[in-house]
Amino acid sequence: MNRTLLAFGSGLFGLVILIFIALSVGSAGTGWGDGGGLMLLRAPRILAALAAGLALGIGGAAQQGVFRNPLADPGLTGVFGGALFGIAILLGVSPGLAWQLPWIIPLAAFLGALLTSVLLVLISGRGNTARLLITGLGLNAFTAAGTLVIASRSNESRELLTNGAYGDWLGMATFELIWLPCLLCAFASGLLLTLGRSFDLLSFGEDSAQASGCDVNRSRRWAVLLTALAAAAATCLIGQVAFIGLLAPHLARGIIGPRHRLMMPLSGLLGGGLLLCADTIGRAAWPQSPLSAAAVMALLGAPLFIWIARRSHE
Amino acid sequence: MSEIAVQALGVSVAFNGHRALDGASLSLPFGTVTALAGPNGAGKTTLLRALAGLIPQATGEIATAGYDPRTTPPARLASVRAYGAQAAYSAWDFTLSDFLFLSSDPSLCDSWLERLQLTDLRHRRLSQLSIGQKKSAHLALAISSLGEPFGKIFLLDEPTVGLDLARQELVQKACLDLALAGAACVVATHDMNFIRRCHQVAVLSEGRMIAYGPPAATLTPAIIYETWGVS
Repeated sequence: MNRTLLAFGSGLFGLVILIFIALSVGSAGTGWGDGGGLMLLRAPRILAALAAGLALGIGGAAQQGVFRNPLADPGLTGVFGGALFGIAILLGVSPGLAWQLPWIIPLAAFLGALLTSVLLVLISGRGNTARLLITGLGLNAFTAAGTLVIASRSNESRELLTNGAYGDWLGMATFELIWLPCLLCAFASGLLLTLGRSFDLLSFGEDSAQASGCDVNRSRRWAVLLTALAAAAATCLIGQVAFIGLLAPHLARGIIGPRHRLMMPLSGLLGGGLLLCADTIGRAAWPQSPLSAAAVMALLGAPLFIWIARRSHE
Repeated sequence: MSEIAVQALGVSVAFNGHRALDGASLSLPFGTVTALAGPNGAGKTTLLRALAGLIPQATGEIATAGYDPRTTPPARLASVRAYGAQAAYSAWDFTLSDFLFLSSDPSLCDSWLERLQLTDLRHRRLSQLSIGQKKSAHLALAISSLGEPFGKIFLLDEPTVGLDLARQELVQKACLDLALAGAACVVATHDMNFIRRCHQVAVLSEGRMIAYGPPAATLTPAIIYETWGVS
């Protein structure tokens, strides 16, 4: 218990410090500006990074829990790609409609993410890492290709979609654009946390989970639906970013063990912190043309991914 | 509560057209341990899983603690019957103390870990335990999930396999004690010593039930030869 308190306490403390640092660096110089003017300008971006990171940290943990696989991550399994593809289709079909109501883009992202998730479950079956990752690879390649095709055919959305594919949307954040996706991130994350006990029971296999009173099919359906929502909402905020759904749960598991009811909230906290950290590094190191949070994340996440892949054996 | 813990009538299960279980019938009172015996692939695990409610497509009549396990909500079923799977599988590398966190009754789980001589290993991870130790830990978790054993049903798949002699004896004794306390135990096992200590034996072969009754009546040389091909 002490270790748990220590982990959450120092995590929250670190996050608060990080938020202050993030508020004070940027292209207009260091500091908070006159009367906090710069701070207000940077706040939406910071809020977006935190919300997206939270959703991805918890969404990644949930996807790993439901597939019982440490390598499941919405970025690698194509669910993220599906969300962006959903947005791309909307922009390709009707670019005017997309900006008329705040929920149209999140809805398109959700439908794209949900469709990819359902395909992933249907094609990859359960439990087998190779099949899961190969299916994810295929779905990822297809949705990325689809997004690129639409981007290349549409003059007005080309830059927007390309930036999305590189995970570079945080720079556009304004309160008007991000409030709904941020709420959806929080909503999906909160509901996913309530599935923690199901994921704990699922650790021992589907038979054991079902016998212990977990309605396995129902839990799986909810997990897939809510992970798709979390990934879609995060996509609306940042675009595509891989590895964070892998890195955050893995670190959380290393710190307080694999019990989902404790590990998932910590993974959310770490996810938010990591994404904000990546974004702040990108902005602080190259203030005039910041490196995208996704690029920084990939530089950190890729070596870890290889390390986990080497260690996980079935 | 009725005296009958588990009632099965003409239970059949087919997996992809293959008949794994063909018309099995049982009637198990509380206060007894029943062994499911038979060669590999005879249908022991399938029968156990069907009784536990883990095979929705099973046909025939099944009543487990008065419930049809195929249609009863999992949470209600989990309060009257425990199921111990054959493989001590875990996707994540828990410590044995984590088992207490995962258990629905941590103090009872702790006392079962102690009874199965696992207390000293509490801070080890599953990856640092032997197969038999893992199996015992999973058994402790499954058995402790029901609280007071009176009127409860324990369905255990090969509970002694992979265990050392001392723990085999502990687990056999535990099953008999649960029955004494008013529970019904059903164990699928190959262990002839264990089978002979049970109150009832159901001998299965190729999905069919060959014999059913007390060990002395069912484990005759003729049935043993017919079922296992050994004398």
